[in-house]
Amino acid sequence: MIARLRGHSEYGVAAFLLAVGVLVLVDTARISTDFTQRGPVGPKAVPAVVGVLLIVVAVLLAVDVMRGGRGEAEEGEDVDLSHPSDWRTIALLAGAFLANVALIDRAGWPISGAVLFWGGTYALGSRRFVRDALIALALSFGTYLLFARGLGIGLPAGLLEGVL
Amino acid sequence: MDAFGSLLDGFATALTPINLLYALIGVALGTAIGVLPGIGPAMAVALLLPVTFGLDPTAAFIMFAGIYYGGMYGGSTTAILINTPGESASVITALEGNAMAKRGRAAQALATSAIGSFVAGTIATALLVMCAPLVVKLALKLGAADYFAIMVLAFIAATSVLGKSRVRGYAALAIGLTIGLVGLDPQTGQQRLTFGLPQLSDGIDVVIVAVGLFAVGEALWVAAHLRRRSAEVIPVGRPWMGREDWARSWKPWLRGTALGFPFGALPAGGAEVPTFLSYVLEKRLSRKPEEFGKGAIEGVAGPEATNNASAAGTLVPMLTLGLPTTATAAVMLAAFQQYGMQPGPLLFEREPELVWGLIASLFIGNTMLLVLNLPLAPLWAKLLRIPRPHLYAGILVFASLGVYSVNASPVDLVVMFVLGLVGFVLRRYGLPIVPVIIGVILGPRAEQQMRRAFQLSDGDVTGLFTTPFSITVYAVVAVVLFWPLARRLVRRRPPTTSERPPETPESPGPDGGPSVGTSPAREADRRGPAG
Amino acid sequence: MRGLRTFAATAVAVALTVTGCAGSGSDTAGKPVTGLRVMVPNTPGGGYDVTARTAAKAAEDAKLARNIEVFNLPGAGGTVGLARLVNEKGNGKLAMSMGLGVVGSVYTNKSKATLQQTTPVARLLQEPDIIVVPKDSRYKTIGDLVKAWKADPGKLPVGGGSSPGGPDHLAPMLTAKAAGLVPKDVNYVPYDGGGELLAAILGKQVAFGVSGVGEYADQVKAGQLRVLAVTSAQRVPGVDAPTLKESGIDVEFVNWRGIVAPPGLDAKEIETLRTLVRKLRESQQWKDALARNGWTDAYLEGDQFGAFVQQENTRVGSVLKDLGLA
Repeated sequence: MIARLRGHSEYGVAAFLLAVGVLVLVDTARISTDFTQRGPVGPKAVPAVVGVLLIVVAVLLAVDVMRGGRGEAEEGEDVDLSHPSDWRTIALLAGAFLANVALIDRAGWPISGAVLFWGGTYALGSRRFVRDALIALALSFGTYLLFARGLGIGLPAGLLEGVL
Repeated sequence: MDAFGSLLDGFATALTPINLLYALIGVALGTAIGVLPGIGPAMAVALLLPVTFGLDPTAAFIMFAGIYYGGMYGGSTTAILINTPGESASVITALEGNAMAKRGRAAQALATSAIGSFVAGTIATALLVMCAPLVVKLALKLGAADYFAIMVLAFIAATSVLGKSRVRGYAALAIGLTIGLVGLDPQTGQQRLTFGLPQLSDGIDVVIVAVGLFAVGEALWVAAHLRRRSAEVIPVGRPWMGREDWARSWKPWLRGTALGFPFGALPAGGAEVPTFLSYVLEKRLSRKPEEFGKGAIEGVAGPEATNNASAAGTLVPMLTLGLPTTATAAVMLAAFQQYGMQPGPLLFEREPELVWGLIASLFIGNTMLLVLNLPLAPLWAKLLRIPRPHLYAGILVFASLGVYSVNASPVDLVVMFVLGLVGFVLRRYGLPIVPVIIGVILGPRAEQQMRRAFQLSDGDVTGLFTTPFSITVYAVVAVVLFWPLARRLVRRRPPTTSERPPETPESPGPDGGPSVGTSPAREADRRGPAG
Repeated sequence: MRGLRTFAATAVAVALTVTGCAGSGSDTAGKPVTGLRVMVPNTPGGGYDVTARTAAKAAEDAKLARNIEVFNLPGAGGTVGLARLVNEKGNGKLAMSMGLGVVGSVYTNKSKATLQQTTPVARLLQEPDIIVVPKDSRYKTIGDLVKAWKADPGKLPVGGGSSPGGPDHLAPMLTAKAAGLVPKDVNYVPYDGGGELLAAILGKQVAFGVSGVGEYADQVKAGQLRVLAVTSAQRVPGVDAPTLKESGIDVEFVNWRGIVAPPGLDAKEIETLRTLVRKLRESQQWKDALARNGWTDAYLEGDQFGAFVQQENTRVGSVLKDLGLA
């Protein structure tokens, strides 16, 4: 049952490649070639080749899956493939990452970075909230002071502008 | 040798205790800033130059050489430890380096990287002293057609890293080529796959691609399949390189140097293509090719020596012609000018003391890096004992911090996240990641050189094959491609004792033997010299 | 990697010029301006960056301003920064360093934000371009070159260090147009910055190259490159080459840099910014900075600068339209 589902979902990869291929070809079609071109290769040629390549590999992959070919999921020290994907954890981790993206220009790195770290540890199963929050703040303030203040890298102070 | 006499004078002025202290500070600062992904040695030098302001030229150069080597090494350190390459030259290092770290061999990976960098940097700097004018003369002879020939060779080499399933390998390569298309077409300024977003029109930096696919993708993958039981701590293993590590490292160091130095001297050489070629070469030549992908030390030693030799190589055209071929070289050029040194054809005559002082500084910076980092390697390796949630959250923090700070753009973070999702899908469905990176590195370069070659020959297709160098490269390509045929003829005869055993048989794997779509390509995997 | 090479060209010059701290002495000439932020629409080390940081440092040293913050918002040839500037309507504490390259980028990137929407403050500097060949090239004069060029433009590739729409691209196109060539026939080969271009010129990959006058001074001095012409109205001191106009090609072209501010400022805010730049230009610190960097003063204030930008915009637009790029 799981194998069959996985087999079906792998068609999704082929469909994705096909969609990207079509997208590349559509994007290529609108490139203007209203200028002198020297030789057989203009701004459209390479994208067209890549688009076709994507479609060809999409078809070949679908055929491969149909004939029973399976991509092996990557194994690793920290990975346990015996249970299905845990979408809740992924969503939490993605949320932490995107929270940083949304906050960094508004709240500044010392805050958004701490949110990212704390959210990340929570998503990945750490439940020592207070200790993790302290580590998160130490990390984000520390990196801000080291990199932005000490080494001159552009990080926003955000809400703490003037305080730090 | 007059050059060596001058070099000794250079050392005499450079080697004072206070200057050594500057070298130490430089290495430490450079490493600190170099660990941020996206911030390579060029930016490290640019950002930290104010620190050297006010020092006399010799002290400034020494500190600056330290910053520079530190910046390079910082990028490799994070590539190995947390799969987050700090700059484009260490993207390839992450492949085997991080795999080694996961097997508890981080200390060895860091050590072979540090020693390899030292060996390569030293040899390459010596080559710089001895034969800069000659190398530059040869380098100037190469044009777009020749670079394109090198790209063709690199693409052929790429077929050996496509992994077990050919169709999945090509799919990954196609994804990489697609990512490489994003941005303004360099020849005509047309937008390609930018979807009207101005932030995409400069293209997607290979560091963002690598960090997205490697670090973010891995974090998401781990999140999806978190071990329920608390995982064992990654073994830290022995702190130093063993006899076997040395035996497997020294040849890749030398080969990497031989590959990196000339590439660095080429006006459009850079470090990305030669590090990749070094990786493929070491995989081909390794006695244990099956270890590649699981942490083969050759795969760290070779590329790390290559990128350092390439960096020294860039000094060749810069000191002899005033021609900066990389961002790092351009920053150095600007730095020299601040000290009244105008690199260029007149430099060696006009400012011999400064030049030899600089070259001596490079030796000192390189040595200092080794002295400082080798004892630290086992300590760094202990970083991996951090509990998993904190380790992966920390990786995301570092990746975000570096990638954001390059362009001060949250859009880059979104791009990195999307690439992380791609990396997740690749892992889940067994598509190899290396070809994606190769596609991003080679695709735009191949296209640019090909189209430039056509422009220079005014559209004449033969313009691609008319230089002696390009003909030679294509001849090599032909030999590589037709080698299997020739070998099949050889095989008909009884095998001789000197013949090496064939490459490891493919494991049957869950996909149950070769399927129709992939079998010709699998054949290709057996191509090429076995030894 | 893209853009990094150009980024680095002068990064260190910047680094060195920003180290000084703002002077804290007494106010001599009116109240110093405070809290000004200067946006640089390209990476640290690029031309606009060096200009901005040098100007900020000089203004602080001359006690005209305190704590000017220079920050980078690179991307899309400067149009990412331009879009942000145009969005900051009414912000009198913001200015942007820019130049001719941004004019072209607005076209090639099809940017919705344009320079016409901004408030012009002043033009600061200019740099003529030079047309160079390797020393053993068979073109001895610009006349030789143009004659051969006209006969077969496709066979005489011209190299430049900027992408289409940039100064090195516009200069040969305008020259071609003035010489009676159709710009579309020009075989322009873009290189990744001045270093790669120099290799292509010396290696005879291209027939000739176009670059800023400062870039190859040493190679010219060493006799490896020969300058056939300068593109400015007057000859350039120290460069033994005629202007294009003298050579019968009716065109003049200089690369320039200036400062613009967001739209929607009130008269007082505009005056504050313009006065600051005017005083800066008169200061000894700025004069020293010009000399140190080999820049040519090309001060043009306020609305005159606005009119100039408009004029350049039209000129660039017409060339790029001829080429099918706009």
